[in-house]
Amino acid sequence: MINLKIDNKVVSVPKGTNIFKAAKDNGIYIPGLCYHPKLTQYGGCRLCMVEVTERGRSRHRFSCAQPVAEGMVVKTKTPETEKYTKSVMEYLLAHHPLDCPTCDKSGECGLQEVTHDLKLKPGRFKSARLDEPMRRDNPLLEYNSNRCILCSRCVKVCKEIAGVAAIDYQNRGFKTVIGTAFDKPLDCSFCGGCVSVCPTGSWQDRTLKFKARPWELKKTPTICTYCAVGCSLVINTKDKEVMRVTADENINLGINESNLCVKGKFGHEFINSDKRIKTPLIKKGGKLRPASWEDALEHISNRFREIIEKSGGNAIGGIGSEKCTNEDNYLFQKLCRTVLGTNNVDNISNMKSPSLNRLINNSVAYGMASTSLEGIENADTVFFVGADISEAHPVVGSMVRKAIRVNKTKVIIANVRNVEFGCETKNLLRLNYKLGTQTTLINAMMKVIVDEKLVNLKKAADKTENFNELLSSLRSSELGIKKVSKATNIPEDSINAAATSIAKAGNCYVICGKDIEEDPSGEETIEALMNLCALVNKGDSDKVSIVFSRENNNSQGVNDMGVVPEFLPGYLDINDPENREVVEGAWGAKLSSDPLEQKSGDIFDRAVKKKIKALYVMGENPIVNYPNGKKVKDAFKKAEFIVVQDSFLTETAQLADVVLPSSTFVEKGGTFTNMVMTVQRLHKAIPQVGDSKPDWQIICALAEKMGHEYHYTTSKDIVDEIGKGVPIYEGIEVNRLRRKGFHWILSLYYKTKAERYQFEITSKKTSAIKSNKKYPFILLTGSSLRHQGTYSRYSESLVSLASECFVEINRKDAKKAKITDGDNVKIESAQGNIKLNVKTTSRVPEGVAFISEDYEWVPVNNLRGDGYTNVKISKTK
Amino acid sequence: MGKRKKQAAKEEVIDLSKAEEILDNYEGVQGALIPVLQKIQYEYGYLQEETINLVAERMNISASEIIGVATFYSQFRLEPRGVHIVKVCCGTACHVKGATKITKEFANKLNVAVGSTTEDNMFTLEEVACLGACSLAPIITLDGNVHGNMAPDGVGNIIQETGKHGSSK
Repeated sequence: MINLKIDNKVVSVPKGTNIFKAAKDNGIYIPGLCYHPKLTQYGGCRLCMVEVTERGRSRHRFSCAQPVAEGMVVKTKTPETEKYTKSVMEYLLAHHPLDCPTCDKSGECGLQEVTHDLKLKPGRFKSARLDEPMRRDNPLLEYNSNRCILCSRCVKVCKEIAGVAAIDYQNRGFKTVIGTAFDKPLDCSFCGGCVSVCPTGSWQDRTLKFKARPWELKKTPTICTYCAVGCSLVINTKDKEVMRVTADENINLGINESNLCVKGKFGHEFINSDKRIKTPLIKKGGKLRPASWEDALEHISNRFREIIEKSGGNAIGGIGSEKCTNEDNYLFQKLCRTVLGTNNVDNISNMKSPSLNRLINNSVAYGMASTSLEGIENADTVFFVGADISEAHPVVGSMVRKAIRVNKTKVIIANVRNVEFGCETKNLLRLNYKLGTQTTLINAMMKVIVDEKLVNLKKAADKTENFNELLSSLRSSELGIKKVSKATNIPEDSINAAATSIAKAGNCYVICGKDIEEDPSGEETIEALMNLCALVNKGDSDKVSIVFSRENNNSQGVNDMGVVPEFLPGYLDINDPENREVVEGAWGAKLSSDPLEQKSGDIFDRAVKKKIKALYVMGENPIVNYPNGKKVKDAFKKAEFIVVQDSFLTETAQLADVVLPSSTFVEKGGTFTNMVMTVQRLHKAIPQVGDSKPDWQIICALAEKMGHEYHYTTSKDIVDEIGKGVPIYEGIEVNRLRRKGFHWILSLYYKTKAERYQFEITSKKTSAIKSNKKYPFILLTGSSLRHQGTYSRYSESLVSLASECFVEINRKDAKKAKITDGDNVKIESAQGNIKLNVKTTSRVPEGVAFISEDYEWVPVNNLRGDGYTNVKISKTK
Repeated sequence: MGKRKKQAAKEEVIDLSKAEEILDNYEGVQGALIPVLQKIQYEYGYLQEETINLVAERMNISASEIIGVATFYSQFRLEPRGVHIVKVCCGTACHVKGATKITKEFANKLNVAVGSTTEDNMFTLEEVACLGACSLAPIITLDGNVHGNMAPDGVGNIIQETGKHGSSK
């Protein structure tokens, strides 16, 4: 710590801090417009001049560019600095339009604040006002160069945080503006970072335009409802309507340092969409008609009772939601397991990758699971395996870029596709493997580490079990580097460099993405990956953390809460009589005694076989989101009775007999668990829209109708019950979640010691990829930056930004098939077909067709069966 | 007519092999953007959109940043330059001796504004601050050759002479 004096106040700050930040953190105001704590320092606005006295000499310095030193004496307000700052402001305002009354920034504008704070009078200069037209070339952001003071914040945020560098200074001198190359329309990730950091009204959020003034907005912090990162958002509301989403300006809220992505920032319009379902709907004569809550619940309880009497509770299948809160999901499975008496509860993420829960729990038990995403910024090496971070979890991308900036972190990206990641080339190593060789690649990396003795093998053997088996499995001739290099299509040097970088890293983060998790051979790859982690894990201060990426905001929570057939909340084995007894005692009800049918497929398999007769779906749209479209449609067709709880009339809701309107995330309290098991709290920002109710209240009402009393008045009561009954959530307290999340892994690590790692040697199974002459392409699906499910679909801005889903194929394949960019093509598989426009690219390898599965109106699952899907592509006439 | 010609020139496919070669030489070199741009400009005469996009892709620098650099330094040009380059000195001595009249005459005769290129791509007219030969004021350079003691009458002659030599540079 460095001690210095600022305006007669003794302050103590870490080494390397600049005077500006030191003053601001200690409540001393220095005017300044270009410095931002999360960006690199620039020193362009010239406003933050202070007088610095060191070793008896006084000098004037720009406080944002001057690091603190021991014994420094700083004066922020002297006649000289005041005179200087005022004249700088005079220059800045000389050509500023001063159109504050019609500027949306007015009220939260940095330039306005400094003008006010300095009590400026009209300047001495004849002003030369610019009259450039507003740049509006996209639906979300607009740029007004007349108001710009060229502070470079937006340029820096675009490059350093978003990794896009879509904008930069153009020209020089008085003609300088911020712009794109060749004045092309803005083509970036639309994270809105430029709007957030702009100290003037130059960058504006077009979705807010003239709808509200900053001082009219009520701000409520909450957690984002899109991906599994769990960013903190600030919901800005006016008259019960969400006007915009901002990030916390003081960057101390949540895990995202006030960085957002396009969905978090602009994807809020679904909340007040007129397409929301506002009353319960009951199907009469083949049509869904509005009904009262009373009638709807009566109808459901009667039908459920009939089915239970006729075929038993297990004839009802419940699908929990990856988007609803932990409380909703906890009550949902409690209702299903006790009131309805079924163990057929499941969620879509578990159906997509059934082994993932077990593997994640292993990683927790071995003490390898990461406890926080922010920890990435201290990593020396970040290894992405099958993760398309820029599309799926953009804010993690920002964290990695910060790590590169502060730590010179090495980033290794292993993927089939050449996925986008914006950073400088020297920090990036790509391993673009051939589809199906991912496990071989990871095993080969282990072989390199063992052969080159990059880690202390004796120590590794002491700490783990089965080490010799691992060594003998690595001796296989299949793993010779030459052979692997040929099979995977990756240069030998890259494999060696990646292995060295991972083995030598003091702090290594491995991020396993959904391309691996949802791959038919995913289990085997993840086991190999955990072996790699255990091999290089030195323990103590040097460590490896593994993160399993999840898709939706609460994909982790829904599994934690026991919305899986084989686990009670907290991953308690349901077949263990002891667990059953404890839970039955706590809930005061009997669990379904029907033995869990093993290996008979998931709920939809059983519905197809007519073993499940009724489906109860909460907040999900399986008709589109479940990978096998044909199967799920068949299941819904055969079901006798379907209840859907959702905010919109999705494809699934349209098939329902009763639809119950549920509230969205801003209309309720509760908690979400993100992909590193941080439990964060939601805050209610607006009252319920229409007649909708939070899911947990609907469940309580239904339980009551069916003769069970659920005594919960607020969602806090449910959290209390979870804290008592669910071992991994033990100790969670709502009131302590106000500022900080609850890390359940961390509290587990405190309580229990990590198990000894046991290497899992999986014999290489036959490759699941089958080439097919009739269907020459393999279909890959993945996440999209701009869309995710139902919510983004009803957010007009996101739809106008990305209105079309493309099928991406390699340029060479396109040339062979005589397809050009933008052609409409038919994609056919043995199961079905869809028509889309083509985007030719070099990011996708030859022989692969890539379609994002997040455009909900594009039923990609029509094409897919179980395992890899072979497709053919032909031009439509 | 002129417009059509310009469009035809735009549609022309640019041979990027030379730019590729230049980029190959700078593969993996840090801070190589300016030399790469200089070499490309030397080969192609100016920086086209296609070459900039290629540099962006190969060097992993966004096109906007490259344009930022290219528009900052006056040595880089984003518009094609003529075959012949006329630089009229407008330093103090030349100004006093009537450089403005020379510039005007060139602009009239060539039908081109200062700083731009004739439609047939033959001449580019530029003003420079001082060529450092004030004893010969007013002075111009044409493709690097100095013409001193200029008078507006001589402008037509010079243009004609140059035109005769054809398009060889």
